[in-house]
Amino acid sequence: MATQEALTKGLALPRLIAIVVILAMWQALALSGLLFRDVVPPLEALVVGFVGVLISPDFYANLAITFAELLAALAGGGLAGLVVGLCLGASRFASKAFEPWLGYLGPTPKIILFPLLILMFGVGVESKMAMGAVSCFFPIAISVAAGVRGVDPVLLKVGRSFRARLDQMLIKIYLPAMIAPLLNGARLGFGVALIGVLLAETKLSKQGLGFMVMDAYQRFDMPRMYGLLIVSVGIAAVVNIVLEHLAIQAGHKKPTKH
Amino acid sequence: MSAPLLSVDGVTRRFGPETCGVLAVDNMSFDVRQGEFVSIIGPSGCGKSTLFSMLGGLLPPTSGRIAVEGDVITGPHPAVGMVFQEESCLPWRSVIDNVAFPLELEGIGKSERHDRAQHFVELVGLHGFEKRHPAELSGGMRQRVCIARTLAAKPRLLLMDEPFAALDEQTRLLLGDKVLQIQQELHQTTLLITHSITEAVQLSDRILVMTYRPGRLKRIVEVHLPRPRNADVVTSPEFGATVAEIWSDLREEASRGMAASEVS
Repeated sequence: MATQEALTKGLALPRLIAIVVILAMWQALALSGLLFRDVVPPLEALVVGFVGVLISPDFYANLAITFAELLAALAGGGLAGLVVGLCLGASRFASKAFEPWLGYLGPTPKIILFPLLILMFGVGVESKMAMGAVSCFFPIAISVAAGVRGVDPVLLKVGRSFRARLDQMLIKIYLPAMIAPLLNGARLGFGVALIGVLLAETKLSKQGLGFMVMDAYQRFDMPRMYGLLIVSVGIAAVVNIVLEHLAIQAGHKKPTKH
Repeated sequence: MSAPLLSVDGVTRRFGPETCGVLAVDNMSFDVRQGEFVSIIGPSGCGKSTLFSMLGGLLPPTSGRIAVEGDVITGPHPAVGMVFQEESCLPWRSVIDNVAFPLELEGIGKSERHDRAQHFVELVGLHGFEKRHPAELSGGMRQRVCIARTLAAKPRLLLMDEPFAALDEQTRLLLGDKVLQIQQELHQTTLLITHSITEAVQLSDRILVMTYRPGRLKRIVEVHLPRPRNADVVTSPEFGATVAEIWSDLREEASRGMAASEVS
């Protein structure tokens, strides 16, 4: 633990320097006049835009909508991914037969399905939820399947030798043994669900963060657009940090092998 | 005379097809009587662990029949408790919750199962460690947690598959002492699978010696050391004589095993 802290300490300075250098380069570019002033606004304009976003009630209403869409997407896509992943992980046959499909379809651009989802679910929040759900289904199913296979076989033998029922095996052995890969799946799923939802909002929408960004862009309100981008990326990064932290903590509870 | 607690009758296990598969256990028959401590000893690759899985109901025999208290087993049997060779504590549970695990599966309420588990935690000498997690314990302590967990289910027959294989020699001897003490306290009928001759002689009433592949019963050795025993028994001349007797049986099998592993 001590060495880990020391490592983090040693990293803080170079990280700070990198941030300062990037900001300085941005400011230099903004002041140089090489690009349109409004496209690369100076830092003070960005701060004004950022604060402007944070104090507008409009922003919070749209943030709530995006979050609701994201949660619904994660619930739907996550549940489907969990069930499919458990089945694939439990059956070697199913895994051989169907898991390559997930591997091939997973990385395809889901946004191409958006017109279809609009036809199926309308232009409102439902089509965005569906977009997010389709996106997060694949990484969650793949992580869960790998998680099931990663469960130490001796723990399954322990459960069987004590004659645990199927539901007891799932709740008391599989799920706790899989907590790290599950959280990792949630992290990956969250990332792509957010991409799906925001991308869908930028296409055809009247609400949500993606819509706000496109709206600011169409009005050529660059500071506001940058403000929204900073907030969106910041929120996504914070959620990622939290989920990764949880996954690492869960991983630490594993026994040390001798 | 009463029926034996465990009766193994012509049990054979083959992996793969009849013609080219591996015959792991070949036509083994033996009994374990109530209150007895029996060890099965054999070189690596003699099918000990395959036999263990079959006795625990985790693996069906290809042919033959295993009965516990006259009941032919077709799956894990409530009268049989298993302690595995591998690290098998549930790492996310504290010591007390590990030991209470089989009671929890039976649907016993939290305070009662903790009370009952506490007795077995103390029996294996882990008093004061109830709230610790397995990762905070030594290998020997973790194996004791697993023994307590299996005992908490009150098995009539305790099966152990090389439970001390991963531990150092001193810890093994002391844990053997602990097992002796538990056995004397609970009159626990136990079948221990091991490749350690000293461990087998220290603990057992009878020792079944197995042959190297296919695993067959080579000989049954009765151990006449007086009970109660403790770890000091290893220094007695009778102990040495019994060890030498088993070694002479096992030596041939072990060298066959070694030769086979050098060829492959």
